[in-house]
Parts: sequence; C-alpha cells; structure tokens
Amino acid sequence: MNVVDIRQLTKMYKKNRGIEDITFSIEEGEIFGFIGPNGAGKSTTIRTLLNFIYPTSGSATIFGKDIVRDAKEIRQHVGYLPSEIHYYDDMKVIDLLTYSARFYKANEQRIKTLAERLDLDLHKKIEDLSFGNRKKVGIVQALLHEPKLLILDEPTNGLDPLMQNTFFELLFEERKKGATIFFSSHILSEVQKLCDRVAIIKEGKLVQVETVEHLTKKNLKYVTIVLEQGQQSDFHLDGVVKKEVNGNEITMLYKGDVKQLIHQLDSLPLKDVVISEPTLEDIFLHYYEK
Amino acid sequence: MIFMREWKWNMKALVIWCVVMSGLILLTLSIFPQFAQQQKEMTKLLEAYPESMKKVFGMNELNMGELLGFYAVEIYMMTTLLGSIYSAILASSILAKEENEKTIEFLLSKPVTRSRIVTEKLLAVFVNILIFNGVSTMASIVGFQFAKNPDVPVSTFSLLVVATMLLHLTFGAISFLLSASMRKTRNILSISLGIVLAAYFLHVMAGISEDLEFLKYFTPFKYVDAAPIINDKQLEPLYVVVMAVVILISVAMSYVVYKKKDIVV
Repeated sequence: MNVVDIRQLTKMYKKNRGIEDITFSIEEGEIFGFIGPNGAGKSTTIRTLLNFIYPTSGSATIFGKDIVRDAKEIRQHVGYLPSEIHYYDDMKVIDLLTYSARFYKANEQRIKTLAERLDLDLHKKIEDLSFGNRKKVGIVQALLHEPKLLILDEPTNGLDPLMQNTFFELLFEERKKGATIFFSSHILSEVQKLCDRVAIIKEGKLVQVETVEHLTKKNLKYVTIVLEQGQQSDFHLDGVVKKEVNGNEITMLYKGDVKQLIHQLDSLPLKDVVISEPTLEDIFLHYYEK
Repeated sequence: MIFMREWKWNMKALVIWCVVMSGLILLTLSIFPQFAQQQKEMTKLLEAYPESMKKVFGMNELNMGELLGFYAVEIYMMTTLLGSIYSAILASSILAKEENEKTIEFLLSKPVTRSRIVTEKLLAVFVNILIFNGVSTMASIVGFQFAKNPDVPVSTFSLLVVATMLLHLTFGAISFLLSASMRKTRNILSISLGIVLAAYFLHVMAGISEDLEFLKYFTPFKYVDAAPIINDKQLEPLYVVVMAVVILISVAMSYVVYKKKDIVV
C-alpha cells in the first residue's frame, strides 16, 4: 500500500515559484528521501501535504485519505519536524511537549525516554535554548506519539554529528515498528546513508525518482589536490569530467570507481588531497540536465 | 486545550486591565458623596461648560446629582472606551500572533481542524471580555456604597452593563476578523485600535456639531449612549440588532477566511 500518493500536485504562488505537476508515491515502511537545492519546492510540497497551504491543482492522499478533506485524521498519525523550529518562547520544554502529547492523547511517559536519549533538558525555557536544542525538542515532538508517517524537513540541520547518529538510530527504530519516513534534505550524503529511494526536485519540478543504489552508482566526487611546487599540472586521469587549475592547486570532478581514483592519485606528486561530496548542482549538471 | 493555553497566556493582561479599571471606577465613585453634597455649586460650574461638551457626555440630559447619572457621565465613558480598547488589543492578536511567531506550524501539525482553533480562540476572547465586564460591574457596585443612598435602579443599571458588554463584543469581533484575515500582528493592532478611536471620535464629533449629527449612525458608541438608555429605560432595538449582526458576520467571516487561508510562515 502507498502511504503517500501525490498526483500532479501543483501549487502556484502569486510572486514566488511554487511546485508544478509533482507525482510520486511512498510505500509503507520506506525511508524516502526528497532532495533538491534550497528553494526547489521541498517545503512547499510538505506544507501542501500537511494542508498548511491549499493545492492549486492536482491532489494527494496520505494513508489513502485526502490531504485537504481529511487533514485532521491524517495528522493524528503524522509526526512533523519543520526545518525551522518556532515554539512558544514562554513555555518550558516539558510544558510544550505535554501540550503536544495531549493533542494526540499520546503517552506522556515517552517524553522522558526520548529526552534522555537526545540528552535534552526538559526544564529549560524554550527561549533559552540553542538552535540545536530546539531541534531536539522538535524531534521529540515529532516522535512522541509514535506516528505511522514521519515528515522531516531538513532534520539534521543544526544537529552535531553525534546527535545526528542518535537521531538516525531513533528513525531506524521507528521504521522497525512500521513507520514510513519522508525525509527532505539538500545534502546528498545523508540521504544516501539513510534512504531507500529518493525523489529529486529542482525549480519546482520533479526531476526523477530513483533508488539510492542507483544514485550512488553515479558516484561523483570532488577531488582537490595540491601538487609539490613546480610540478606539471597537465597530467591525465581517467574519469575526470571537469578540471580547474589554480596555481598548484587543482580541483576536479571525478566520476567512477573510487578505488580507481585512489590508484591513479597514488602516482602523482601530491602534497595534499581532499575528496569531498559534489554539490547537488554538480550532480544535476552531469546527470539530469538535458 | 488551545483555550486553556490562551487563558494562561492572556491572564496577566486581564488582571492588569481589571485592576486598573476597578481602581479608576472606585476612585471616581469615591468622590461622588462630596460631589452630591456640593451639588448646587457643581451644577453651576457644570453649566458654565460649553453646550456641545455637555451634549457629548450627555450632561444636558442626565442629572449628575443622582448616582446613576453620575455613573453614566463619569464611569460609563471609561468602561465603554477603555473596555473597547482592551477588547481590540485582545482579539486582534489572538490568531495572528501564532502566524507572526510562526508557532502556527506547530498547532496546524496537530490533529485539530482550523475551525476548532478559531472556536477555542474565540471562546477565549469571549470569556476574557466577560470577566473584564464582570469585574468592572462589581467594582461599580462596590463603589456605589460610598454614596449616602447607594440604591440605583437595578434594571437600568443592568441595561448599561449589557450595552457596554455588547459594545466590547462588537469591537472584539471586528478585531478578531482582522486577526483571522491578516498576517502581521503590529498592523492589525494599529488598525483595530484605529477603528475604536475613530468610532469614539465620530461619536464626539456627532455630539459637538449639529451638521455632523449624521455621523452618529456610523459609530457603535452612539448605539450605547447612556442618556437615552437611562431616560427611555431601554436599549434601542435597532441598535442592538445592528451590533448583533456585526458580531455574527465578523465571527462567521473569521471561520470562512481562516479555513481558506494559505498559512505560510
């Protein structure tokens, strides 16, 4: 069964670009990535699904229910983590979470368990929290009623790597219990780490829905090397699709097997090397541009 | 639940307004015994006031030597105007503040309908206005005891209380509609207060000049004028209907507008 089913969903704003003709579905138990550069329409899609905004045309269902007509019933089983967390500043963390739990008639005991896992102080005031700690409140708030569908908008934004791991663990536990997870991000590596399939969105339009396996095969790496002083920079490496020389620092975009790359680099007179993730723009440029 | 949250949120403001209002009422009523004693001189003094001013405050039609007349001129002006300002401030922020502070994203992701959100917030406005009126009525009754003869005609006094409450609800409902349809709290607050003060100003203008008397139909303050209520011992049914219609339309529109609204934070 499809947990989320989006059909030709379109949202037009008066001034800004919205989303146009988006169609895809998410299966039960899946971790589904939603990836695209900032401003591509990820949040607009999510807000339409949650009925914060109304679609201009097209439709969508969650758990087989219409997102506009049955918004209330849908939300009972959805956990939502917004990209920017804004809560009532005058409340304490525990007050906010209790307030949230009561809407779902959820088990308030779970607040404590989750807060402990995330190392979150429940008795601080929301206004005194750092960005990362606010995010943790958001995570507890999204998970505490054990929703069947989790909608996470840029969830790792602001979490330190250690917390990210705990957060991912929590997500996997939820999935084991049968939850479906819809995860938006503009960072490719975290989507690769976590998701089964991804939808790629750009400038309001859906570019492709792919399995992560497939996406990873397109292994694209950014390679920056610094050569010993006075060395020639006109060497040739197999698989390099773009090369920029800047003094003795050379930046390359490499496509293909990583082992092959290391092997080839080995023969160069290297002083330093950095291999990093390509930007999404680069991936788009090399795979999805027509 | 949303109601309880609003209740706590607005508690402080309610207490402050009630304390200030009751203080003013008690203070003013405490000078009545002296005022009544020196009534002759006072009446003379008041006669020296310009005719138009007397008309604005209804002094020409009311006997300020009587407790209820004194109340109508001195206290009623405060409760109607200040209470309307309080209602406007309260109602104009109650929905829009969630969008302004972006907390609406939290609320809307919970299993509640938008109608439910509107209903609970509306209820909070209503209860706060009710309590404000209750407290200022109590303060007046306590203040009446300062007088040598503290009896006022209960039915007429009740009419004045009901009129005040209706006026507050009218301004509250208009401000609530603004709160449901607009986004920036600061603008809504200035517009709501603007409406109250403009209405009051029209009321004063209509009293001052014969030429401007037609203005009275555009201001709810005229609908609840104390002098006709005390002298006729009734609220003009037409005015009551007009206020009731304004309240009902504003509330109904609030539901419709808020339900259709795209809420982007």
